[in-house]
Amino acid sequence: MATLDSCGSPDHQLIRFIPDEDLVPGIATWKPSLCTMCGAGCGLLVRVMQGEAEVVHNGQNGLVQMGLAKKLEGNPNHPVNLGKLCARGQAGLQVLYHPDRLRNPLKRTGARGSGQFQEVTWDAALGELLAQLSALRTSDAGALAFLSRPLQGQRRELVERFLKSFGAPPAIAYEPLDEAVLRQANLLSFGHSQLPTLDLARADYLLSFGADFLGTWNSPVSQSIGYGEMRQGRPGRRGRFAQIESRMSQTGANADEWIPCRPGTEGVLALGIANVILQDKEFVHDAHSRPASLIAGWSDGLPDFTPEMVEKQTGVSAAAIARLAHDLTHSGLGAVIIGGPPLAHTNGLFNALAVNALESLVDAARNQPALLSFTPAVPFASAAAPSAKGPQSSFAAINALSQSVLSGAAHEPKVLLLDNANPVFSAPPATRMPEAIAKIPYVASFGSFIDETSVWADLVLPDHAPLESWLDDVPAAGAVSMVAGLAPPAVRPLHNTRAMPDVILDLGHQLGGSVAAALPWKTYDEMLQAAFLPLRKHPGSIDAKDDDEFWSKVQQQGGWWSVPAANGAAGRAAANAGSGSAAPAAPAAPPGARAAAKFAEPQFDGAPNDFPFYFLPYASQALGDGSLAHLPWLQEMPDVLTTAMWSSWVELNPQTAERLKILPGELVEITSQHGSVRAPAVLSPGIAPDLVAMPIGQGHINFGRYASHRGANPLAILAPLTEAETGSLAWAATRVKLARVGGVDQANLILYAGGMSGFPHEEEPHR
Amino acid sequence: MRALNDRGKWLVIAVLGVGLFIFAAKTVPFGHAQTQVTTPSPSQAPGRVGATQTGDSDVFTTDHHSAIAAMRDFLGLRSQPVQPIAFPHKTHLANNLKCLDCHAGADVGPDAAIPSVKFCMTCHLVIATDKPEIKKVAAFQARHEDIPWVRVYNYSQYAHVRFNHAPHIRANVACATCHGDLTKQTTAQRVVNLDMGYCLTCHEQRQAPIDCQTCHF
Amino acid sequence: MPHKWAMVIDLDRCTGCEACVVACHAENNIPTAGEDQAARGRTKHWIRVERYWEGEFPNARIRFQPVLCQQCDAAPCEPVCPTYASYHTSEGLNAQVYNRCVGTRFCANACPYNVRFFNFYNPVWEKPLNLQLNPDVSVREVGIMEKCTFCVQRIHGAEIQAEAEKRELKDGEFNPACVQSCSPKAMVFGDLNDPASEVSRLAKSGRNTKLLGELGTLPNVNYLERNS
Repeated sequence: MATLDSCGSPDHQLIRFIPDEDLVPGIATWKPSLCTMCGAGCGLLVRVMQGEAEVVHNGQNGLVQMGLAKKLEGNPNHPVNLGKLCARGQAGLQVLYHPDRLRNPLKRTGARGSGQFQEVTWDAALGELLAQLSALRTSDAGALAFLSRPLQGQRRELVERFLKSFGAPPAIAYEPLDEAVLRQANLLSFGHSQLPTLDLARADYLLSFGADFLGTWNSPVSQSIGYGEMRQGRPGRRGRFAQIESRMSQTGANADEWIPCRPGTEGVLALGIANVILQDKEFVHDAHSRPASLIAGWSDGLPDFTPEMVEKQTGVSAAAIARLAHDLTHSGLGAVIIGGPPLAHTNGLFNALAVNALESLVDAARNQPALLSFTPAVPFASAAAPSAKGPQSSFAAINALSQSVLSGAAHEPKVLLLDNANPVFSAPPATRMPEAIAKIPYVASFGSFIDETSVWADLVLPDHAPLESWLDDVPAAGAVSMVAGLAPPAVRPLHNTRAMPDVILDLGHQLGGSVAAALPWKTYDEMLQAAFLPLRKHPGSIDAKDDDEFWSKVQQQGGWWSVPAANGAAGRAAANAGSGSAAPAAPAAPPGARAAAKFAEPQFDGAPNDFPFYFLPYASQALGDGSLAHLPWLQEMPDVLTTAMWSSWVELNPQTAERLKILPGELVEITSQHGSVRAPAVLSPGIAPDLVAMPIGQGHINFGRYASHRGANPLAILAPLTEAETGSLAWAATRVKLARVGGVDQANLILYAGGMSGFPHEEEPHR
Repeated sequence: MRALNDRGKWLVIAVLGVGLFIFAAKTVPFGHAQTQVTTPSPSQAPGRVGATQTGDSDVFTTDHHSAIAAMRDFLGLRSQPVQPIAFPHKTHLANNLKCLDCHAGADVGPDAAIPSVKFCMTCHLVIATDKPEIKKVAAFQARHEDIPWVRVYNYSQYAHVRFNHAPHIRANVACATCHGDLTKQTTAQRVVNLDMGYCLTCHEQRQAPIDCQTCHF
Repeated sequence: MPHKWAMVIDLDRCTGCEACVVACHAENNIPTAGEDQAARGRTKHWIRVERYWEGEFPNARIRFQPVLCQQCDAAPCEPVCPTYASYHTSEGLNAQVYNRCVGTRFCANACPYNVRFFNFYNPVWEKPLNLQLNPDVSVREVGIMEKCTFCVQRIHGAEIQAEAEKRELKDGEFNPACVQSCSPKAMVFGDLNDPASEVSRLAKSGRNTKLLGELGTLPNVNYLERNS
């Protein structure tokens, strides 16, 4: 009904193509899909209605009636998000309809990195890539590299098979804020290389070390659902939580108690709290529990971590430490979690192990079932198991890639297949990613957008948007049951794009030999079907009499899970209670010959005299790690703590600002040993005076019309320090100096004032 | 002409221009003026590629694409639709087809479908294939094109009306009440003026809701 | 008995995640204003999350409060409208009839909640972003006011569906977009005239307050205060 009055519409000149599908106009159908806006793996329902789209068929412009995605909601049956969806998830629609999405394969015409391409046919594009791959396979198969963001579900399996049979090294995955440290800590402490699932709905007390669990960390929707229940879901019983962090996050803003702690000493604070609990004779302690045995001095009662000693190191008062210990052990069911900045120091693994040990101490002391559990692995046939292993995001791997290219090592990559990873934007400058990418002789990208990395491509083979694709995802956290999300395309492709997995299959088949043999499926959905059908014999959400019915029900339901569908938050709690305490029940394999972890002072890049401030880049509430900066809804969503939109900013303590004579909104420059960025100042009482913080997300130079040339990128001044044991990027380990460089008029801070201003000025050009 | 938010100019333009516009609107045939839109200028990224522009304009806006179109809209003037096929409604209805057979969806939802050429050809693959108009229909399908029917009844975007067929059909309002007697028409003509008075008269007679927000939202 | 639509927002559950903000944009055809217009304060957020800082470091606290049209029973925006574009429906909604509005903006001046938004320009969607537009909601042009409708298109849709199935509306069978997205279930929507509805039950809470209730606007959005 909202169609334009057709009389007088310029659209009227276009021819109309015969529609491929017959839909009843005005009637919405709801199709399951999966959210790919972060790694949480939430289920979606897509509201699809008939509409008229401008398309190109065989080179001719025209109009066609087709099903169009109008709104995304959470899938009420999906165990992770139970019908709910966050702001970033809602904006997934704008990925589908983005005006800068690539519509055809592209071949480079200008110089490398110039961004000059011409559109080519799929036949031409695939032919060119195939020629490259064939030549490489006979000469130097090990010189093929595949770089992506962490791949979900069977996509990962497909790419691994392709690379292995080709003779290439394993795929490299990279995203700047990865969770490798916590995964490793949980493997050591609990035997699970995963992030934890929190049962907040039953929690009476939560102590969070830096985890932005209501905003950007782990599985935010699942955790927010539980949070609501924790606060007000049980009459007369309100759960409380304390947040330890030096810069108040959206999560910290909701805490009952917000406690700043010197960056990198969070593990010390955890052990200080453990010290108090261990001294308490009220509780029986097991000094030999697996998480505890990983910490040096635990069996002696952590003598080096008395509250007074911890106060000196962390800046948290001994009284506060004692109170936290008391609250943890005297508030019903309690839990301790860690995430975000405390892990992003050179001693991040120690911080995580210390917090894990405290968590298990609290559980054991109170003899309570753990509120932390680990989502069980889906029983896929072993060959098809996309469990929580395989190529996770790795800073070390991408650094090695860059070094091998730049140093001309043997088997340096000659052909790079790029799938949505954007290390040129997100890796620290010392990795010299732009140089490395430029030096790789041939780069082909599957991404849907030109970004700072894919602009270097020689060939672009644009993937479908997620809502146009077969999707599968096995969430590693956020549910107590096994979950394998799956969805067929919710809408037909709008542009001349092809699904990346199908392109890989096509290339593999044409390469022939062992590669073709390793990929026995004609299409990706065949591969998915082969992986999912064996789940039928496991008790779960689908009751089917044969494979066909099972497969069709998996598609209708948006996946398979090991509990009956639609039992809501209560069901989640019940399932968790039934499954018992997952954390202590972890595989009992000993941590091996590992030396017990000792606290090491966190290392920072930059001498404190020259660079007096700790620097904290943090995941933006709207733009995540910057990969969502191209979406206008998220750009215009006011940051909830600052109300800033379309902007970068630097958060400063008002005392700091006063000392440096910086007024709100003025332009400041942050300088590290690796570069400097400029952004307007925002004064915030929720940040320590010796810390400056900046949201990640802006500062793109080449990421579509809504993100390019806007704000500054804090990742561009990071030092390449890594967590000592895991090699993960220590993104909170850079020190900076700060100076005012301009007034408000030179900065470009846009705040949402909460209303509208006056009539357009006379001098404003009329539109 | 989009500067109507300047009240001074608005008045001058309105007073001086109204006579001219009425004249223009009534005599000048509809033209496809190119939409001139200056969007809140997003920075054009260097290296932005791949945006094959389809259609006449790369933006969708509520702006009228010409002053004449704006004035015609303001005065409620609409040209009679010219259909690509001289579709004889009366023949189809005489052959016992029902409205909903082709215009599906009206009984269950807000909109009535206009069928695609595929639907026409399910019958006309064998029926009346020698008629010149049917040959035109077949030619559309042969070119993989749909028939560019022109909507006869729809509301201007600026009417802000959200009409829903289904409740009207459930209330036994005959299709002919609003669409005229199609058994006597070939191509549909706008024989009923569906202005608000027409709607309200019926709503009042039938004691249907007359709250503004029943239709305007 | 006619419905009386109302909302309860539990501030102890609200996390400030702003899923409601984006959900509202997606549902209600709200264009993004863009950087230049945003700098002039012309973004249209029918719902926003306000935040209030209290105290200084290290004892700083924040309170979040989602603010949308309060659908007042004694709405200050209604009597000032010279064209009756702003009026009260029989179901307790404060409605804005776009095609009556001539853009005096008296209503926005009168509204103490700052939840009415004026279209300074014709909205623009760069194609194909327009394909997302919800056909159940009007696209508002230059010169008129707009504001939260409690997703009246969803209310009508559910009412028409219930009528077709010859049954009463069930509590919670539909929700405005903001409520539907809200993960911690801070927002609850329903019929205050149904004493069994969840919104009726929650509105009786001892924590219930009205935003600027002292002005006598009789809002239909109830805020349950934080417990701490």
